[in-house]
Amino acid sequence: MNAIDGTDRHVRDSDNSPPPSLLTIILDTNPHAWALLSDTLPLSKAVANLLVFINAHLSFNHANQVAVIASHIQRAQWLYPTPHPPRNSSLPEENGTSNPTAPSATKYHRFAVIERSLQDNLARLISHTTAADLTSSTTTQIAGALSTALAHISRATQLSSPADSSGISLDSTGPTLSNPTDAPTDPADGTPRARRSPLTSRILIVSVSGDLAAQYIPVMNAIFAAQRQRVPLDVLKLAGDTVFLQQAADATGGVYIAPSSAAARAGLLQYLMMGFLPDARARAALVMPGGGEVDFRAACFCHRRVVDVGLSLGAAVTAKPVVVPRPKKKKKRKLGDVTGTSTPMSAGTPGP
Amino acid sequence: MADMGGEYIQDVSDDDGVEVASRSGNDGAAGGAYGARAKGKTRAKERWESGIQTDAIALGEGPDGNLAESLEAEEQARKRARLRQDNKPVQRGIIRHVVLILDLSEAMLEKDMRPNRYIVAINYAQAYVREFFEQNPISQMCVMVMHDGLCIRLSDLSGNPADHIAAIQAIRYPKSARQPAREPKGSPSLQNALEMARAALYHAPSHSTREVIIVLGALLSNDPGDIHKTIKSCVADRLRVAIIGMGARLRICQEICAKTNAGDDSVYGVCQDEKNFRELLMATTTPPVIRQTASALPSAEQTPNTASLLMMGFPSRVTESTPSLCACHNNLTRGGYMCSRCQVKVCSLPRACPSCGMTLILSTHLARSYHHLFPLQSWVEVSWARAREVGSTECQACMTHFPPVPEPQEPDATREGTDTGTDTDKDKDTANSALKPVKQRPRAEGASESSRYECRSCHCHFCIDCDVYCHTVLHNCPGCLSSPSTAPTDAEANPEVVAEMAVGLENGINGGEPMDMA
Repeated sequence: MNAIDGTDRHVRDSDNSPPPSLLTIILDTNPHAWALLSDTLPLSKAVANLLVFINAHLSFNHANQVAVIASHIQRAQWLYPTPHPPRNSSLPEENGTSNPTAPSATKYHRFAVIERSLQDNLARLISHTTAADLTSSTTTQIAGALSTALAHISRATQLSSPADSSGISLDSTGPTLSNPTDAPTDPADGTPRARRSPLTSRILIVSVSGDLAAQYIPVMNAIFAAQRQRVPLDVLKLAGDTVFLQQAADATGGVYIAPSSAAARAGLLQYLMMGFLPDARARAALVMPGGGEVDFRAACFCHRRVVDVGLSLGAAVTAKPVVVPRPKKKKKRKLGDVTGTSTPMSAGTPGP
Repeated sequence: MADMGGEYIQDVSDDDGVEVASRSGNDGAAGGAYGARAKGKTRAKERWESGIQTDAIALGEGPDGNLAESLEAEEQARKRARLRQDNKPVQRGIIRHVVLILDLSEAMLEKDMRPNRYIVAINYAQAYVREFFEQNPISQMCVMVMHDGLCIRLSDLSGNPADHIAAIQAIRYPKSARQPAREPKGSPSLQNALEMARAALYHAPSHSTREVIIVLGALLSNDPGDIHKTIKSCVADRLRVAIIGMGARLRICQEICAKTNAGDDSVYGVCQDEKNFRELLMATTTPPVIRQTASALPSAEQTPNTASLLMMGFPSRVTESTPSLCACHNNLTRGGYMCSRCQVKVCSLPRACPSCGMTLILSTHLARSYHHLFPLQSWVEVSWARAREVGSTECQACMTHFPPVPEPQEPDATREGTDTGTDTDKDKDTANSALKPVKQRPRAEGASESSRYECRSCHCHFCIDCDVYCHTVLHNCPGCLSSPSTAPTDAEANPEVVAEMAVGLENGINGGEPMDMA
């Protein structure tokens, strides 16, 4: 009977449909870097391309979600969804979606809402950037944006699987986060369970600035958190050079693409569509770009320089600088060449 | 809690006779030590004695007679319970050598955990290995079991979690069909276990820690000789033993833990249930604190405390068009990692370079341990008064809506009116002092009445889920890293002497007083 009236076909369809996917885009809005790119790829054009990409993502599945965070020069800020600032903060609340403009009759409502909110928030972010902000710093708050994005993803994952709400506290350091896609039997609690997190998430970082060595530890922490949540970090590196984002993509199984020439950058949309649109499930069936050589060097604690060979303390002190008269911390020094043994410290036992 | 008491009695009645028999051999020394300790201070209350009362308090009704709300608060408090632990600046050994010893004696067939202790212990041990290497990627581990009076080594000391997990799985499902599964049998021997662990850790270098983690289900130890001699030699070899009991507290375990941990027996825990067992086990994944003063063992402890620098290489991965032999397994592989010093190719990291002996690791391995060194500051509970003052409506990180702030009561309104516009420290004081009149209902400790949690350096408010997530997984504060004044870049950007760098880092990551510095 059910087969005749199509009831079970409907059920089967909903089972087979791909799981909803949350795409979080971190847009590096560092004004210094975009100024350098302005003749080949102005920010406005990049945002327009990004919007097309977002719309493509949303069109795949009506349950797909999107979130956009700006990693600006002094702060990281949500672009979509629009945050509600504390009521008595100094910034006047001007919600992009609340000003009613005549909606285009031909545009899908959801696309219009995102476009509007993204553009309004971006415009507000840029207009609130003062000259003092610009002179004080040249790097971008990628670590803050990543942390925010990961916290948001963690929350969204939890919301999409209500059964998990009690278990998350138990397992937050355990198998739930470290391997949510494991066999249905969780080794930790020994109870059979279905895959409880149907929401697949990924983060796309559109990066234009280099020199993130100052944020080495927070970025690394974020990478490991992403790794444990199985959130791939995709990186589209339009300019600059950061070894850490490449490591991030490698460690989390994301895609790293760095179109370096101006001609390549002109095809931004092509890169986005071809390289980053497939979600985690589709990627299993595709040959993804990237891979190959990865720069795994670390930054030294003393000079924030990226090094090849270093000296590391087996036991490092966390905080008390008072008790630390001798040089402490991870200390890594660049060694000129193969004559590393000339360093007095190298007499220490090399590890096991 | 009531059933806890039942369990305890039951365990004792099962094993009582045997335990007494086995302990009688060591009676003199153990009895003497116990007497000396008992005279010194009054006995602290045991868990099962105090349990019932605290539970009764925790289950208080809300002001409107609503139990659910207080349960929710209880849940939040439980989530936060273990967040409030390690904020203290301490020196931790991040290169560890650990021997995990599982009990496979008859006592593990007890069914007080489902389906029985044996299966629970094996399941959690696998989760433990995974978690251990997540947290301590440059550490090494070795798995042993106590089975029928012997201690059997299942896997060799190595840094590859897959080996250990396979070895633990092989206890129940042996690889070859001829081999029978190793079912729990006989009685355990702590002495044999400690001697085996001591031998296994003998070659561990001095800059690393030597740790033994024993999961003990039995209430006895069937030893071939004098265990006290073994304990002494363990102390001399700088072994640190942690024991997790599944039955009840044992005097000898307490003594082992206390002696090998410089008098601190807090590493000896007895679990109440599975959850508690998991917590106790997972607590040992945090690198141990390095003891500053070596009063107990003056000679042996000097070496690890001096800053022993260790040379490490951070090789980059290469891909090759033609396969070549790797130096570690002599396999033909396309690509691998080139040693930074001698350019030899190895296929996986971390490992020592087979040619020049330098430790090769990925920087990501090293960076994994950093959050132990720079722990994220605890976030504080937010009172309604403070929430009203800030006016936060949603979580800073995940944009979850907070419950709305209720209408102010009279005394708070005046208080708040006078204090707006003062600096942040004052504000916090006000928040704390205003907390008392507002706080009427019994709240579980650690849970915030307004469901908001505030980072003390960036003054952003977060929800409980982000609080737990940021402290257990992420180890970053999204607020601090996103706001201009507390971002770490200012403190870190300029090259400084190393010691001063430490201060800058500390302020940046931990959010010490970056506001004051700016």
